[in-house]
Amino acid sequence: MSWSNQGGGGGPWGPGPKGPWGGGGGGGPQPSGSTPPDLEELLRRSQDRLRTVFPGGGLGGKGIVLLVLAGLVVWGLSGFFRVQPDELGVVLRFGKHVREAQPGLNYHLPYPIETALTPKVTRVNRIDIGMRIEDDLRRGTTMRDVPQESLMLTGDENIVDVDFSVFWVIRTDAVRDFLFNIQQPEVTVKAVAESAMREIIGRSNIQPILTGARQNIETAVHDLMQRTLNEYGAGVQITQVQLQKVDPPSQVIDAFRDVQAARADQERAQNEGQTYANRVVPEARGRAAQITQNAEAYREQTVAEATGQTSRFLQIYEQYAKAPDVTRQRMYLETMERLLSGTDKIILDAPTGSGGVVPYLPLNELPRRPQQQPPAGQPAAPTQAQPLMGGTR
Amino acid sequence: MRANFIGGVLAVIAIVALIVGYSAIFTVYETRQALVVRLGEPIKVVTEPGLNFKVPLIDTVIYVDKRILDLENAAQEVIASDQKRLVVDAFARYRIIDPLRFYQTVGSIEGANSRLATLLNSALRRVLGENSATTVVRDERQVLMGRVRDQLDREAEAFGIDVVDVRIRRADLPEQNSQAVYQRMQTERQREAAEFRAQGVQRAQEIRSRADRDVTVLLAEATSQAEKTRGEGDGERNRIFADAFNKDPAFFAFYRSMQAYEAGLKANDTRFVLKPDSEFFRFFTDPTGTRPAAQAPR
Repeated sequence: MSWSNQGGGGGPWGPGPKGPWGGGGGGGPQPSGSTPPDLEELLRRSQDRLRTVFPGGGLGGKGIVLLVLAGLVVWGLSGFFRVQPDELGVVLRFGKHVREAQPGLNYHLPYPIETALTPKVTRVNRIDIGMRIEDDLRRGTTMRDVPQESLMLTGDENIVDVDFSVFWVIRTDAVRDFLFNIQQPEVTVKAVAESAMREIIGRSNIQPILTGARQNIETAVHDLMQRTLNEYGAGVQITQVQLQKVDPPSQVIDAFRDVQAARADQERAQNEGQTYANRVVPEARGRAAQITQNAEAYREQTVAEATGQTSRFLQIYEQYAKAPDVTRQRMYLETMERLLSGTDKIILDAPTGSGGVVPYLPLNELPRRPQQQPPAGQPAAPTQAQPLMGGTR
Repeated sequence: MRANFIGGVLAVIAIVALIVGYSAIFTVYETRQALVVRLGEPIKVVTEPGLNFKVPLIDTVIYVDKRILDLENAAQEVIASDQKRLVVDAFARYRIIDPLRFYQTVGSIEGANSRLATLLNSALRRVLGENSATTVVRDERQVLMGRVRDQLDREAEAFGIDVVDVRIRRADLPEQNSQAVYQRMQTERQREAAEFRAQGVQRAQEIRSRADRDVTVLLAEATSQAEKTRGEGDGERNRIFADAFNKDPAFFAFYRSMQAYEAGLKANDTRFVLKPDSEFFRFFTDPTGTRPAAQAPR
């Protein structure tokens, strides 16, 4: 807003005097940041300027008149001031708020009648709590933790480390409040933010704070802050409360991480068990199927065999029924033939009842047949005769 | 010379008039209120911003801030009713509503701050001391802050001050208690972790046992089913045999005996001692075969 900004008289007043007031041709000093200027300071500085311009006239007559006229012109022109696009001009007449000025070139009656303030109303201000972001040319942006701000007590008497940022703007409908109602808006916003966050954290338990409730906390702090600041009439609008880091304190963070690991271990153990189950149960189903199939096979086999054997028996019986005596005789003799052809035998031709075999004992020492192999061509009898019994009868 | 002299006098008069005129007016800014004092006696209070007049040289103006002012209080230890210590850091916001009384009692903002800080401390101790630490931290922070505010407001009225708000910024445990809390948190987490791990083992064991049980039951059911099937087979077999053999039990006995002899008397483990008068040898000694048969070989 200083005259030198005008690019060497490019302003609408053309060849006007180039900044005889130094850099302060505008209605007043720009508020640094969003802090309203100290009006007393402003007053004093302007008086100093007046003194340097009128060092006490030593010239006479016309000279004095000219000087006074020039002074009046300069004085009149000093009422021009520029409002930047992100600012809003607030004009005070004798310290009283009279009107607002939009961005662009504006005019107010010269000091000390009117002064103007230009707060940056569209700028979003940011306050970090629990940390400081520092711009370092060599290392880029670094974040430094401020534990005395970030460590806070939870409702269940645990301690949690919370870093958060608050974004706020000047309420456009209450610029007046912002400028004239609060001594140090920035400090106040920060103090309110801290107390609100601690109040909200103090109401909840640590577990939800660390896990799911971030959104809720942000909303609650936002509402509480806005309510408090409205009570103060601070003219401040909180746009966002953003939790940056919510952690257990560094002293105990390992224990908290171990809980996460333990949860994973729990999952893992369960999965291992499930793996075992998934392997063992289908295998057992297979074995069960095998057992039942075996039994089915046994049943089919048994029935088939029985059917076969009875059918054989019935065939023989059918023939037998036609000539019972002869067939019976033949079967007997054939069996005996097969039976006796393959075994050792001793034939004793002794009269009946004369002591039997006793005189020839021990039988084991009687000579055996040298070779048991049945001669070729002889029916292999025992293999044909299936054992019918077992548990049958 | 004369003209110069007159001009000089005029100039002096003009300058004096300017000075007197200038000292007859004063501006009150939006952020301030003014107290006009005539020779030590306060005569009026101006709260509306704008241009105002006073008697030159005799009246003096004292400006008093009209905004909401900060009172930051250093952290201090407070003992709650359950003997727990809390480090409490509170701040207050106040406004000067009676410039005259403010000026008469505390004089300046610095004076007000130091007086208010003392009052705030004692109000905090009083209110928080009546309540337990949990109440302060968790349950009724807002209510207690309201009570401190009311007490402080009543006391500050004497200074022409209206206390807008008192807020507890921090209510923390002292450092040595914090260590104890950290230890407790640590052991709690360890307990939790151990519990999770044990639950995992438990669940795994449950799943395994359940699987083992399923296996056993599956096999037992299969075996049971198998026995039943086998029994069916055996029963069917018996029925088939019985149906067939009942046609001629006598022949069956003979037929079956023949088979049994053949299967039971194996070639390599049997030795017969025979008499030549058995049925088999009917024709052995007697080609006519007229002698009656005796019996089967033994």
